[in-house]
Formats: sequence, C-alpha cells, structure tokens
Amino acid sequence: MNTLLKVARYHLVQPIPFLVVAWGIVAFSFAVNVIVYAFAPTSHPAGAGGVPAGRYTGALASLFVYFMVLGVNSIGRWLPFGLALGASRRSYYAGTALLAAGLAVVDGLVLAVLQVIERATDGWGVQMGFFRIPYLLSGPWYLTWLSSFVWLTLLFVYGMWYGIVFRRWGLIGTIAFIAAQAAVLVAAGLLVTRANGWAGVGHFFTGLTATGLTGVLAVLAVALLAGGQATIRRAAI
Amino acid sequence: MTAAISATALTRRYRDQVALDDVSFELPTGSITGLLGRNGAGKTTLLRILAGQEFPSAGSVRVLGEPPADNERVLSRMVFVREDQAYPDIKVRHALRAASWFYPNWDAGLAETLAADFNLRPNKAIKKLSRGLRSALGITIGLAARAEVTLFDEPYAGLDAVARQIFYDRLLAEYGEHPRTILLSTHLIDEAAALFESVVVIDQGRIVLEAAADGLRGVASTVSGPLLAVDEFTAGRPVWARRRLGSQASVVTVGPLAEADRARARALGLDLVPLTLQQLVVQAAGWPGLAGAAEHPEGVSA
Repeated sequence: MNTLLKVARYHLVQPIPFLVVAWGIVAFSFAVNVIVYAFAPTSHPAGAGGVPAGRYTGALASLFVYFMVLGVNSIGRWLPFGLALGASRRSYYAGTALLAAGLAVVDGLVLAVLQVIERATDGWGVQMGFFRIPYLLSGPWYLTWLSSFVWLTLLFVYGMWYGIVFRRWGLIGTIAFIAAQAAVLVAAGLLVTRANGWAGVGHFFTGLTATGLTGVLAVLAVALLAGGQATIRRAAI
Repeated sequence: MTAAISATALTRRYRDQVALDDVSFELPTGSITGLLGRNGAGKTTLLRILAGQEFPSAGSVRVLGEPPADNERVLSRMVFVREDQAYPDIKVRHALRAASWFYPNWDAGLAETLAADFNLRPNKAIKKLSRGLRSALGITIGLAARAEVTLFDEPYAGLDAVARQIFYDRLLAEYGEHPRTILLSTHLIDEAAALFESVVVIDQGRIVLEAAADGLRGVASTVSGPLLAVDEFTAGRPVWARRRLGSQASVVTVGPLAEADRARARALGLDLVPLTLQQLVVQAAGWPGLAGAAEHPEGVSA
C-alpha cells in the first residue's frame, strides 16, 4: 500500500474525532437552533421559500472551526508516532492533506444534501437557515459542495501549518507566526494605500461572486499547503 | 559485508551544547550492540539521527547503505523505539494496528503474545498506561516489527524485573530466529551485558570505547589486598584507579592477566576480580585511553 494511504488510514485508526465528534457538534448546534427558532415567531408566510431576516443561524461555522482544530491535532502527537512508524515527513504531510481533502469531499457533500433538505422543508419547518449561509453557501447544491470542500480543506491545512510551527518553534514561534501574518496583511494594506488602490480592491471584492471567492480560497489553500510543506521538511521530533 | 549502520564525523550542536562531537562508527549487519553512556552523553541524539528524526549539524549517517532522513526505502526497514515516544490519544490496539500497516514484516501473533506477556491490555488508552507499560508497548512494536534495523532507546524504563527478563529472552529468541541489526541504549549495563556482541560507549558526545564484548572481558581487573602486596603486584602495570583504606588497597589495573600473574597474586594474598562491563563503562567515561586498551589488549600503555 502506498505510504500516503497508510498515513491517511493511520489517522482513521481512531475515527471518532473525524466522524462522531465532527457531526456530533453539527447535530448538537442544529438541535439547539431548531428549538430556539421553533419558539421564535416569524411573520414570514410559511412555504414562501427563502430565509427571513434574522433566521440565519451561522452556527455551521462550528464545523469549519473544528476542521481547523483537526488540522492542528493531526500534527501534535500524531506526527511523532507517525514518523516513528517509518513515514517520511513528505508522505506524512501529503497523506494527512489527502485525508483532509477526502473528508472535505464527503462532508461537503453531506452539507450540500442537508442544504437541499433544508430548502425543501422550508427551513426544517421553522424557517431556519442553518445549512444556508448568505453569500458563502447559498447557491445550488453543487456549488455548496464545492465551496464547503474548499473551505474545509483550507481550514484543515491552515491548522496543520499551525501544528507544524508549534512543533518546531513552540509557543513563542507560534505567536511570531501569527504576528508575521498580521504584518503581511498590514504591509499589503499600506501598499494598497500608497498606490491609492482601495477603490480597486473594493471593486474586486464587491464584484467577486461566491464562486469566484471559492477560487481565491482554493489558491490560498494551495499556498498554505506549500507553506506547511516547507515548514515540516526540517521538523525534528 | 556492508555496514548496516555507519556514522561519519557526526556532530550535533544545540545552542549551548555539543550533543555529538565528531562521532564515527560502523555496525555490521546482524549484530546486537549496546549503546552505553551516562545521562546526557548523546545516546538519544545519536539514535534520533540514525532514525531520521533529527538532523546532524555536520557529518552523515547511513543506514542500510543510504541516508535515512525522509528516505522511505530505509525507514520502512527500520524501527526505533524511544523511551519518550509520544503517542496520539488512542488505545493500545490502535497503536499495534497502525504499526502492522507500516512494517512489511509485522508479526501480529508475536505482538499479541508479547502484549499478553507484559499484561498490556489492548483496550487501554495509551495515555493511561504506567511508565512501565508504555515501555512494554514500545518493546512490543519494536520486536513485532521484525525490522532489519531495530533501534531501542532505553526500551525498558520503568519495567519490572520480570518484564525485563521477558524482554531479554524474547529479544534473543527473535534475534536467533530472525537475525537483524539491533542497537540498544541502556543504563542497566550489567543486566543487559550478556545480550551484547559489541558495545559503543559515548561520553559527552564522543565515542570513548567501541569494542567487541568478548574483547572487553578481562581487559581490566581490580586487585585488592595488603597495600604493599598490591603495590608490588601492580608495579609497572597501567593503573586507572587507586583506593586505600588503612593498610589495605584496591587498584584497578588494565591489561590481561596471564596464569603466572594469577599465581603470583595468590602467593601475595591478593584478590583479583575482573571489571564488569558496567564498571568498565564507568571507568571509560573520562578515560579515552580505554578504547586503545580494548582494541590492543596485549600492548597496553595507558
């Protein structure tokens, strides 16, 4: 068996965090929101479709944040044992990223299906937008699948990078890593200001469709993936 | 035969410390070698570099003929059991199952037997294991992997005497059935001495002794008895350590003793006791001349 697949399988040797915990979080926050909205009256006519103002929960973010946690954790104590079992850093990293992408494909499809059901049931009978998020996840099911896939992969890979940075340089290094990212953003902002480019930036983002944003995020995910790869190359355990 | 493991001018510097200083050695394929030395001598650093987990500052290592770092052709044929191995939040059986996927020669039956011998319960969470049982898990993985190169770093920290004996017995039985190259670091030198075909002793990052275990037996002896008699016997012999208590003295002398020497010692009323491996290692730390003594036991001139 290919080492990449072995690594992906290695993470799934204990699948509870990936399956039970991830969807348990979604199920719990879904249940809480259904109860809340069942008791919150709305003047929106039943069956009219769409989500009335104030009835988007946004609680689905918990799943996306959890994917970043999974990414951090996939390095943590998993990397030392994975390397001890004879995986190279390269295979470990690629195999873990492969697992992330695989999970994101499956979980993204589940989200798309749940979104279809949500639309068909007039927001689960309580006119709630749980699996619909304005702008980000509001298109047809296949775009929801695609966008979820990209977001989930991106956050997992970003989390992995944090895990690797922490592994190599500890807490101080991680803080420096965050500060460096902030510095890059500030520098970019200054450059834009200097070039009087804020109008152009504004137009870019207002003109950006959700699909376009997904494309931008996909490019960002690839960049983060490369950053993590460069960082793990010399990681000692 | 090519060496299973070789290190050339290996140096590892940390910010304020030199962990390994110009270390070179070779281990032949199919041998059990003891890696001995004090705490902080550089044993773990050396093993981590051999296993590709750590990078040298200078010099190079080869395992099975190739550099090991991030080289799966080598890594898949090598297992490294660390005293301080970090495990994920999983159970014993998960760790064994994962190991079975990675090692081509994995012996599931052996893993099961060893786990049972060590009272290692498959459903126990690894983080709840005692130190000894955690070591037992490492040993189980290290032996059941049947890897061509097997590195053990203090494999039995915290293990009780019975479990240690199981480890020695199993290791020798496994080695007999499936020969491999084993490098084992330990503090319990005398206990493990019978295992070793050769030893490498490092102290403060340097190799101070590298010799076949056979060549070390009788390389030095303690001579004790009346002061004058001891002085007479050891005159002209290289002496490492001298202790005096009233009219009695005890002296460590280097070099093999012929039958005539023994007879003379008896006549002088002296006790002759060969140094054990452990005592030799204690002496070797801070006695670079020992390396020469072991290689040329005939012509010692310390």
